[in-house]
Amino acid sequence: MSALVLMAQIAGRRCAMAAEDVRSVIDLGVIAPVPRAPAFIAGITALRSQTLTVIDCRLALGLEAASLYPTDTRAAVVATGGHSYALMVDAIEDIATSLGEPGHIPGGFGAEWQRAATGMIETGIGPALLLDLPPLIAGPLAGARTNRAAA
Amino acid sequence: MDDLLAEFIAETREMLEATGGELVAWEADPADRARLDSVFRFVHTVKGNCGFFDFPQLASLSHAAEDALADLRAGRRAPSPALVSAVLAIIDRIARMVDSIEAGEPIAGDDSALIAALGAGETAPSHDAPEPVTAVLGEPPPTPAQTLAAMRTIRLPVELLDRVMSGVSDMVLARNDLAHRLRESGTQPTIDGPFERLTAILSDVRDAITRMRMQRIETLFSALPRLVRDLSAELGKQVLIDLEGGNVELDREMIETIRDPLTHIIRNAIDHGIEAPAARRAAGKREIGMLTLSAHQSGNTIAIVVSDDGRGLDEAKIAAKAIATGLITEAEGAAMSRDKILQLIFEPGFSTADSISNVSGRGVGLDVVRQNLEKVGGSIAVSSQPGVGTLFTLTIPLTLSIIAGLTVEVAGQRFAVPQGYIEEIIEADAAGLDYAQMGERALITFRGERVPCLLLADVLGLPAPDMHTGTHTLALLRLASGDLFALCVERIHSHGDLVVKPLAPAVMKCGLYAGSALLDDGQPVLLLDVTRIAAEHGLLSEARSRTMRGAEKEARAQATHTARAMLFTAIDGRRAAIRLELVQRIETIPASAVDLSLAQPRAVIDGLILPLAGLGDAPLARPKLRLLRLSDGASELLYAVGDVEDAVELPAELTPVPGDPLVEGLMLQGGRPVAVLSGHALFAAHGRPAEPAERPACLLPDTDWARAILAPLVEEAGYQVVSEDSAKAPGAVSIMMEDLYEVASHLGQLPAGPVIRLRDHPDAPTGSPSIYRYDREGLAKALKAAAGGRA
Repeated sequence: MSALVLMAQIAGRRCAMAAEDVRSVIDLGVIAPVPRAPAFIAGITALRSQTLTVIDCRLALGLEAASLYPTDTRAAVVATGGHSYALMVDAIEDIATSLGEPGHIPGGFGAEWQRAATGMIETGIGPALLLDLPPLIAGPLAGARTNRAAA
Repeated sequence: MDDLLAEFIAETREMLEATGGELVAWEADPADRARLDSVFRFVHTVKGNCGFFDFPQLASLSHAAEDALADLRAGRRAPSPALVSAVLAIIDRIARMVDSIEAGEPIAGDDSALIAALGAGETAPSHDAPEPVTAVLGEPPPTPAQTLAAMRTIRLPVELLDRVMSGVSDMVLARNDLAHRLRESGTQPTIDGPFERLTAILSDVRDAITRMRMQRIETLFSALPRLVRDLSAELGKQVLIDLEGGNVELDREMIETIRDPLTHIIRNAIDHGIEAPAARRAAGKREIGMLTLSAHQSGNTIAIVVSDDGRGLDEAKIAAKAIATGLITEAEGAAMSRDKILQLIFEPGFSTADSISNVSGRGVGLDVVRQNLEKVGGSIAVSSQPGVGTLFTLTIPLTLSIIAGLTVEVAGQRFAVPQGYIEEIIEADAAGLDYAQMGERALITFRGERVPCLLLADVLGLPAPDMHTGTHTLALLRLASGDLFALCVERIHSHGDLVVKPLAPAVMKCGLYAGSALLDDGQPVLLLDVTRIAAEHGLLSEARSRTMRGAEKEARAQATHTARAMLFTAIDGRRAAIRLELVQRIETIPASAVDLSLAQPRAVIDGLILPLAGLGDAPLARPKLRLLRLSDGASELLYAVGDVEDAVELPAELTPVPGDPLVEGLMLQGGRPVAVLSGHALFAAHGRPAEPAERPACLLPDTDWARAILAPLVEEAGYQVVSEDSAKAPGAVSIMMEDLYEVASHLGQLPAGPVIRLRDHPDAPTGSPSIYRYDREGLAKALKAAAGGRA
């Protein structure tokens, strides 16, 4: 299988999203926070006449303190389950071609990553973890979920 | 039957339209077999359909045409221009008949000539001059009025409508964005003009599109009084139905979906809920039971509340029944709250009726009601108090969601609140609100009633302001259940139409938001789910049926008829009071909304221009003006005040003040005299009577002068300017120029109603009753007199 993937950095790790899942890459404008929403929901933002839910991928993977990582001003727009989301990541890198099927490695990628990833793929610029979007967007495992008062 | 008929008409029209082209082609080439076939199919179908309805004329006509065409097809006859014309005449005639059927008129006219014309073609040689036929065709063509009466309809797939609708929604957003950018770049007359036009067109289009799918819930409500009447008669009960919120609009399909559930609940309420008159009397209630239906829109959902003041649900009986039918175990029943037990009535296989009556025992239970509602994403809940009543709340989603909303701000973030909930906006400090903290619950006093108050900041977990200092802005929200509560926000921004978009499931789970919308500046806001927020905070009453409160109010009104007054400080610093019944609400407007250019100051509020009193001679010093909005029931006026203090009880007798007609009397308040303003004098001086719903008609001369100069004057005098055709109304006043009047009077064609004659010259010939056309006062007087004479 050789397919186009969008390469991105999440919490310092290289990840990939299937290009066909990504509708566009936008510059994140104003994000309106959503009080009382789970922390991984950074807020909502507008894309033309649409509202996007902004997901902070670092927090959605159960990692603490997204502020440890740089955040790209751009975000990948994806649609699942009839809703559109903007995925906030460290950096959006490039489009690459995946070489071969996603594979697994012994011992897995760690519980949170395992949940949100289809497997590892090889690309022209090195290996990357291919993300599975619906579980990623569903947020971290129940126990790790934290409510926060939006700042 | 009506639906069937409408279907028949629609189908016939569609075929007529499709056949139109074929007819023309067939006329050009009568030998064309394919065309002939399609024309034949048309008359054949019409004939077949007529069988379902009692339209003998239509049937015989289409039958005759079918016979003739069948002969043609079978080759028994040769097509001739005469025959073609005769068939065409018949098809035209069918089109007109369909129009009259739709308009509900009897089918008039004799068709024997048309039918005979078919035969005439047969006996005549094939190249005979089509004389007999032209005679037939000489039948009057449909008049324009007839064509108009038949409203043209087409049928469209719903998906197409949906697509158009979402396109228009996006257009509205694009326009808002553009508006914002235009505002930022300053005034540009060359762009602003077309942009205004675009805005107007867009709002028209949106209205039309919205109406395509939406229907007022009235259409559903309108059948209910009859249903209630019949049912209560059948059951020997007396029930009054009270309908509210009929103007709430709902998707047509949704209306159909809730029709049965609603009917079912009403049947239940009358059959099981409301007691027989004797039982009601014994329970100390009015003999007539009250059934209240109210519809309310909130964001993406519509809540319909059905409440009755009957005996309420019997918790024990429901529990026992549920245990007997094996829905729950005894232990489970004992552990369940009353509310939980009540909801069991929606479980499959549950019915409490001891004996199945022919009204509600139809084998369809409330479980089916719930199922039907859940199928469309709705829900149903019940609450009830024994002896007081039962309240069903149906929640249904709105597929289309452009709603009027208000934007509020708290802790620097903006949120939208559906306008429908907003009862009033108040702005006051802690003392003015009589803010009190009772345990965890905050209360404010609004019009003498203690109202629970929520701080939006608290609800959202944002830093909350200190309620004890400073002034606060509160929105009083009225829920569909009738409950009132105050929501404290920091600021209220503009209101406008919001296109509500659904939220991602994770955001919905917060339970605070109903959707999201984009503001004019493109910033997204969250739409608050007012009902859920209220429910979360326990503000949704338990079956506190509004009928109960109505009765309480009545009782209160009867027991103590003490008059109350609103105490305030006038602009000039003096304290004064005005009877509370006159005060509709307290408003705050920017000084820019006040117009001082006329003798009578006016102010714009809610898009209305109302007279403004109480300003005195003082110039408008403040940027904002606090106003009392007064109403005498018919007209409204605004009274400017410095500060609103409190509502106080009026003493039984006021100390009269002989010299001042504007003051009703003096009362003592805190040891100091306070003037009570006379509502009578205020309204006499400033009140503008509401325009009568039906204004007398006035027919003007058909000249540019009349249209441009006279018409505004006439309208000001309370008339409705009408055109020549519609001036047939008896008693319509006509204004005629003197010369025309003379001509008309010579011809004996004077209008029936009163006539006001105008002349061109200021100096009247002696003895002429005419008025100089620029004599404003004289004309006004004459118009007034004519209106008076009519009344």
